Amino acid sequence: MGIPIPNSKLGLWLFLGTEIMFFTAFIGAYIVLRIGSPGWPTDTADTHILVFWGGFNTFVLIVSSYCVVVAHEAMAKRDFSRARQYLTYTMALAFVFLGVKSYEYYGKFSHDILPSHIAETPTQAINKVDRELEQVVRERFAIYTDAKAIDVAQPNDLATVSAQLDVFAKDTGEDDSGLRISAPGDVALYSKWQNLHQHIVANVSLDEVPVATGPGYLADRAALQEGETLPVLEFAEVTAELERLKSNEVYGPAIQAGVFDPHPVLYGNLFASIYFLMTGFHAIHVIVGMILFARPLLQGSNLDEKWTDWVENSGLYWHFVDLVWIFLFPLLYIA
Amino acid sequence: MAHDDHSAHHVNYLAVFVALCVFTALSVIFDLVSFSNHAITIVLVLAVAVAKALCVMMFFMHLKFEGNWKFVLLAPTTILAIGLPLALLPDIGVAYYTPLAPQAEWRAEMESFHASHAEHGGHTGGIEHLDEHVNPGTPVQDGVTAEPHKESHDEDAVAPAEKAE
Repeated sequence: MGIPIPNSKLGLWLFLGTEIMFFTAFIGAYIVLRIGSPGWPTDTADTHILVFWGGFNTFVLIVSSYCVVVAHEAMAKRDFSRARQYLTYTMALAFVFLGVKSYEYYGKFSHDILPSHIAETPTQAINKVDRELEQVVRERFAIYTDAKAIDVAQPNDLATVSAQLDVFAKDTGEDDSGLRISAPGDVALYSKWQNLHQHIVANVSLDEVPVATGPGYLADRAALQEGETLPVLEFAEVTAELERLKSNEVYGPAIQAGVFDPHPVLYGNLFASIYFLMTGFHAIHVIVGMILFARPLLQGSNLDEKWTDWVENSGLYWHFVDLVWIFLFPLLYIA
Repeated sequence: MAHDDHSAHHVNYLAVFVALCVFTALSVIFDLVSFSNHAITIVLVLAVAVAKALCVMMFFMHLKFEGNWKFVLLAPTTILAIGLPLALLPDIGVAYYTPLAPQAEWRAEMESFHASHAEHGGHTGGIEHLDEHVNPGTPVQDGVTAEPHKESHDEDAVAPAEKAE
């Protein structure tokens, strides 16, 4: 009596039982969160989801699943060279899958589609530009402090560094490093960022309120009648200012590299968490499958019937990996 | 041996493979066709996914030819797997109280942002069912709600209304 299958296959199916619960926990949590989150991002301009490549990868996994079935059939018929041939195809297709996946991930990284990185409102997007610009200013200033072109006690105090850099830029003394040429530009970058930062903090229009600090500004504020307000900062003003900064010769390239195009996406962070969690765990399963197929393939021409159960069980596991993707593709890429 | 018996069932794997490819093409087609309601797309692609899953499980994984042990093994895990989302659904999915997620507040800001961008002809972003929630009084032509995030549709819908006024 007992279950009429080999122990290894029983073990594999029990393992697949736990795997079903593992992936259903993610998929189910995603569906529930999605239902409870009105305004979920579906536009690929927001999510940078590549539907074509998701569909292509679906096709790749289906072909690979077919190859595994043929390989197992060949093993059962003791046609081991054919089995090796089809296992090799499976392995190659797994590499293709991971290659496409890394291309997709690269696209997400280059648009900063990462959990906790995404602005979910215009205000958050403006603050993100502010933070990233500050980081660019720090990096630009580090060029001078690291090269000891200027000597400041506290290199993190950007106002002091900027003042010192201004003195350095106007100095006519000897300069071997050539840093004096770019210094005025970076002093200007600091003041432009400061100006933007103060407008952001005060939430006043960049174009209509010349400065957002100092006695003149405070006097303007004080002169407001009750109920009157200064025009508020618009998202479009910030993007326009960012474009102007990017076109600068001295610091433009640093801003191109260090400041992402502001693009608020409601629920973007939850989307990114779910996308990377589910596709990431799936990719790990693909890698495990490749290790499983590598073992019989490493037998070379010595592959024999001792490996039939192994190929069958690895094949079952591989079909499950395919099965998970069959659900991930419509849920993440289309729905 | 028991596992040798399974290969005795001659499944036309190539036919199953072709069926899976056709199903994949179908789900891509359903994505490209814009239905009047996005929910229709979701239901269709998920139905296709279930069909594909059944093909893989029954034929590639041989479950069609396995003994009754498959039910003993898979029924408990399936029930437990479905239990989790069902347990989460009442609170997180369809809460009867006002949702506490900060996005519930941010959404208003995002909707006015998308609306002002649409006016300027810019990208309108991907808020689902935008038109249904902003300004429910505004008359919207049929079919426009299908893809509220495609600006071209919005403009097509708005332009004649403005001319009429």
